[in-house]
Amino acid sequence: MQNHDEIPVEPETESTAFNMDFEADDDWSNYKDSDVMQQQSAIFEQDAAKFPFVGDKEPLSSLEAEYESGSPILLQKIKVLGKEFGAIRRTRGDGNCFFRSFMFSYLEHILESQDQAEVERVKTNVEKCRKTLQDLGYADFTFEDFFSLFLEQLESVLQGNDASISHDELVLRSRDQSVSDYVVMFFRFVTSGEIRKRSEFFEPFILGLSNTTVEQFCKTSVEPMGEESDHVHITALCDALGVAIRVVYLDRSSCDKDGGVSVNHHDFVPTPSDGATAGTVCDLDLFGWVQTAKQEGE
Amino acid sequence: MPSKSSLSSERIREALSKIATNRLQKELMEWQLNPPTGFKHKVTDNLQRWIIEVNGAPGTLYANETFQLQVDFPEHYPMEAPQVIFVPPAPLHPHIYSNGHICLDILYDSWSPAMTVSSVCISIVSMLSSSTSKQRPADDERYVKNCRNGRSPKETRWWFHDDKV
Repeated sequence: MQNHDEIPVEPETESTAFNMDFEADDDWSNYKDSDVMQQQSAIFEQDAAKFPFVGDKEPLSSLEAEYESGSPILLQKIKVLGKEFGAIRRTRGDGNCFFRSFMFSYLEHILESQDQAEVERVKTNVEKCRKTLQDLGYADFTFEDFFSLFLEQLESVLQGNDASISHDELVLRSRDQSVSDYVVMFFRFVTSGEIRKRSEFFEPFILGLSNTTVEQFCKTSVEPMGEESDHVHITALCDALGVAIRVVYLDRSSCDKDGGVSVNHHDFVPTPSDGATAGTVCDLDLFGWVQTAKQEGE
Repeated sequence: MPSKSSLSSERIREALSKIATNRLQKELMEWQLNPPTGFKHKVTDNLQRWIIEVNGAPGTLYANETFQLQVDFPEHYPMEAPQVIFVPPAPLHPHIYSNGHICLDILYDSWSPAMTVSSVCISIVSMLSSSTSKQRPADDERYVKNCRNGRSPKETRWWFHDDKV
């Protein structure tokens, strides 16, 4: 255990100086933590300016343009996707992209469908999640603000009450950190609670993924903001809320079917556990998330 | 450019948001009902800075020693981690610098809003209790010199490669 500073320090240089320092000096050991962190935060801010948490709708052709000089299989797959999807939205690759895409897609689905029964069903499951966290020993004050904020958003996309919001307002809220991050954190609580509650079920998957205990995995890979999601997170969230999720993979694998290209997808379908309400499930296509995830991975 | 403020210690002095105030009041109430063993919150009227007395656990290297923790809460607590340091003299420990800065992952990258002041305190006492030698980190002098101008530990990129102590 040591901190990561490498040099004895002169009075700190100003934040704006870091990029000049980088130009002038290429001995890695001479960079100070503060410089590196300022550079990281500057990159983050540039990213933030370029990519909102949730982007505007874009036609699939914009994706096509991006991969124009890339693999022909990708281009073919984008064409296939174009038949199924009218548009994509990108989400910022900040490690919260799965949860954020899910938030937007789900709330948008409710706003467009005005499906009261679905809202009631999900609210019942949210209350079960609350109970799960309480049973696991979480103090109410740690999660209740996040729960209320999500429930408020859920109410507000239903039309005809004082708090109702428009589609434009939903987009704005998804981009507003003080709403968006709280909803992401709500999903992280729900996911962690579900994994811990069914730790025997999730244990082998977690061992395969990270070689840690369930407890450690939840503490380090689910509950902190900015930690990437994997199959385990998606399965747990889908089961806890009882909402089906389809993930479409835009990868280079060729999967010709009868001479044509098809696109891989994985459906996460909730398994009703101890009396959780099954009932109507809503399909969410998280293509936007996958797109972001792909770019991060490459 | 606003970039610096998001990392510097000045940020911590910004007033608490409404959510943060609300949450801290609840944490304080819970602490008063059920304080973690070995810790005592020193009552002040400052919700944003808690001073906490820590007693070394019996049967450990720090038995019968008392230390003080200073916990400063940022505007967007609990989305952002609190800043937790020992008020010097800090315990002699391989992960604690003489200026009171603590190398513990949950105070930085691994912080989560699911944690509380109380759970942080428990992690700190367990870190103390598992220590087998009373010594400073190898780079103590260099690090402390680097922090002379009031730098916050949250501005350090920490490396956590030893979870045994």
